[in-house]
Amino acid sequence: MRNTNTLGRGLLLLVIGGVLGYGIGLGIDLLVSGTLNFSGSVASAFGLLLAVTAFFFGLYGYRGITRGLVWQVVGTLLGGFFVTGIRALVGSPTIFGAFFFSEPAWVFGALVGVVSFIFGVGVVDDWMKWARGIDTPEHHEDEPGWGKYFGVSLDHKVIGIQYTVTALALIAIGGTFALIFRTELAASQLQFLTTTFKLFNQTGPQIFNTLMSLHGIMMIISILLGISGIMNYVVPMIVGAHDMAFPRMNAFAYWVAVPASVLLLMSLVLGGFDTGWTGYPPLSARAPVGMQMFFLGVFTAGWSSILGSLNVIATVVRMRAKGMSAMRLPIFVWASIATSIIALTATQLIGLSFQLVMFQRLFGMGFFDAAKGGNPVLFQHLFWFYSHPAVYVFVLPGLGVISELLPVFVRKPLFGYRWVAMSSLAIALVGFTVWAHHMFTSGMNEYLRVPFMYSTLLVAVPTGVKFFSWVATLWGGKIETPTPMLFVLGAILVFLMGGLTGPPNATVSTDLHLHDTYFIVGHFHDTIFGGFVFPFFAALYYWFPKATGRRMNEFWGKVHFWMMTPSFFVLTLGMMRVGLLGMRRRIVDYDPALGLDASHLIMTIAAFLIGLSVLIFFINLFYSMKHGEKAEGNLWNSRSPEWQVPSSMYVHNYKVPFEVVGEPYDYGLPGSKYVEFMSEKKH
Amino acid sequence: MTQTHDKRFMLTQGVFIFIYLAVLTGLEFFIAVAFNAVPLLVVVALVKAALVAYYYMHVYKLNAEHEGEEGSYEYKSGTNRLGLWLFLISDSFVFGGLMIMRVNLLGLTRPELNQFLGLGVTAVLLISSFFMNRGETLINNGDRKGFLANTAITFVLGLGFLLGVVLVEWRLAIEEGLTPSSGPAGAAFFMMTGMHAFHVFTGLILLAIVWLNGRRGLYDQKNYPVEAAAVYWHFVDVVWIFFYPALYLIGTVIG
Repeated sequence: MRNTNTLGRGLLLLVIGGVLGYGIGLGIDLLVSGTLNFSGSVASAFGLLLAVTAFFFGLYGYRGITRGLVWQVVGTLLGGFFVTGIRALVGSPTIFGAFFFSEPAWVFGALVGVVSFIFGVGVVDDWMKWARGIDTPEHHEDEPGWGKYFGVSLDHKVIGIQYTVTALALIAIGGTFALIFRTELAASQLQFLTTTFKLFNQTGPQIFNTLMSLHGIMMIISILLGISGIMNYVVPMIVGAHDMAFPRMNAFAYWVAVPASVLLLMSLVLGGFDTGWTGYPPLSARAPVGMQMFFLGVFTAGWSSILGSLNVIATVVRMRAKGMSAMRLPIFVWASIATSIIALTATQLIGLSFQLVMFQRLFGMGFFDAAKGGNPVLFQHLFWFYSHPAVYVFVLPGLGVISELLPVFVRKPLFGYRWVAMSSLAIALVGFTVWAHHMFTSGMNEYLRVPFMYSTLLVAVPTGVKFFSWVATLWGGKIETPTPMLFVLGAILVFLMGGLTGPPNATVSTDLHLHDTYFIVGHFHDTIFGGFVFPFFAALYYWFPKATGRRMNEFWGKVHFWMMTPSFFVLTLGMMRVGLLGMRRRIVDYDPALGLDASHLIMTIAAFLIGLSVLIFFINLFYSMKHGEKAEGNLWNSRSPEWQVPSSMYVHNYKVPFEVVGEPYDYGLPGSKYVEFMSEKKH
Repeated sequence: MTQTHDKRFMLTQGVFIFIYLAVLTGLEFFIAVAFNAVPLLVVVALVKAALVAYYYMHVYKLNAEHEGEEGSYEYKSGTNRLGLWLFLISDSFVFGGLMIMRVNLLGLTRPELNQFLGLGVTAVLLISSFFMNRGETLINNGDRKGFLANTAITFVLGLGFLLGVVLVEWRLAIEEGLTPSSGPAGAAFFMMTGMHAFHVFTGLILLAIVWLNGRRGLYDQKNYPVEAAAVYWHFVDVVWIFFYPALYLIGTVIG
């Protein structure tokens, strides 16, 4: 009862806050520019910020996330006015910019806003106390009920769920963006995003560019949060730790991603940006202020990824259960380690490359400005040094989920455990040497092409090892197909498609033709759906009972799968088809003479079907939390330790510690045991 | 080994390492002036960094064996140590990226900078590392007064370095026409020194925190925070060990 009431109040305040903020913004805009701009950025920005803040206020009161958001808004304004004041004092000719604040004021304000959010939400309270020499208890009790999810909690399971829910919210937003511009592409010519269309001070095609760019980055951030969510929830549980190694940093890593998401959304209303998520200069050096919000948002979210992966590595190295030697680690843990090694190190390079463009814009430092002796290709090197390995960050945990779940539903041992474990590390390490395959056409030194082509093709070897293991595991097994297993099988199939379409892009001779076409888009979506989205859904269906003590509805789960998978194949095969026929990526319109209208229409319908299936998933998820069938035991008949205790788990996971006494995946071998719980007496 | 013996040994070791570092820095400067041999400069920088990482940052502690029960302060400090080193590895990728940027944009040329000042701030930072090491050794042996004095000296030297770079060196460079927007040399110089100065600044905050808490009477037993601040401070020094030759010594001056 209380739940629905507060939700209603939140939604009511959402509307009121939005209208109020819009009005305030409209007034400010009128004061500065002298005209009423109803589709303008300032009014929209204020409306957006106040609406979100008011929603959480209604839902949760003035604490936790609400306080963080309020502080972020106030911090942004204070920082903005601070710089504006300085500009006024030194007599700068432009005190205000096109979007109320000038660009330096927005950047500084946004930075202050992020820091304010961190302090406002209260995630650094303990650290501040430690700095003043005050000790705090090692753990803080969470309040019972759903309230703990909206405030700072140090429990890895709560943080894992916070990550996952945030990731799902971003997937919904990013997916909606995709549906909007996919609709525009359904036929040639401009349909509704026309040049006379005006929103947030942008024309239709500009909105297309912004949505296309934001779809990319929102999905990437949501994937990073999604893998963090699964790793956070599962890794400490399956290695037998009571929590992550650094619980406060764990909470910090989550909460820093929230203001980052707000910044990314702010970029939409502050003039947008038209570079795609790659943000190449020189275009990104000229794009509107939204570009800076994008840079700052990614930079901030990067810290979440770095600190989260640091935590995962430390947890696995230091907090494993007794007897869990390297070769008895669950495969998912190996995959998490591999992904964390990349995220820990390479992420700094995307942060640096974006920072350099930021400074180029703010201070005229000509890093990538050829007119000043800079080198635009340098940006691409720094950027791709992270952003190619990043795709391995996205897929390795997913591939780990596949290897983890497959033996459970096939009831037979995982084929070639050691090889699969090492293949994750091999992908991660080879992944560091392949970045320049994105730059075959960029004008980099030609002698670099062939080495990068071969190093890229080398990735297919450890990936192939995984495929052989999956196929051999499936071979002759007693295959059961509940929803998680369906998604595992779907993942294997889709990832195979993604894998097979990779080598043509890695080979220089074919890539010169395929570069920047829709073929790349199709290939990329195949790898990410196969490597992340399908396994992510599999993991959600699989571990949902662990988190809630209830299972998700099987029927609607199967509807979700059977609606999404064929549509997805139609969509990505269509993308590859139009790409081969000459459709370029990232453009709002295409020539009707290309004859691609029919293909695009089919692809758009398929995209909407995927959207519908995900909507079904969301409804299933929220419905099952309260009303799902009870499932408190070992639902999937798994050997993994977390399923040997009743769901949902205790706060610090295991009341009695366990010891690893056998191999993790010896399903179907009579008398074999993976873990043995130490009796209370022995303990 | 008794504690006093251990203390004396550690302090003497600190002095010797400092002498090595000072001699190597002098050698570095001489190599640059006399031969301008980049590979040699790289070798010297690597040796210096290895000395600091091993003897001042005692990276070998990561491999410590007797850490006590899980849940003990000792064991947790071991976990914290691992976390800190992982963070430093991550952070070194930023500086590595900046170095790549510098090599890509400038190659074997360098901006014209005040050599006397460059050597001066480098010396100040190295000396601060020496005092930091003394302070850490002393608190490990229960000498609070010595710890406070040495940390204070480290802080003052660190502040001297920061002001020397940001207030003096930057102003001199701008007066010479080397501004952030003047070209790739200016951009690289201000970005690299700026990023390093930011880390020096955060290091100073950490030093201030451990100094204040040390004065409050903490760190009698649980003194990992001092070690953490020290390791971070030495890391900042290691970065400068590479940035100093990269900005001041290698290659030829662009006109």
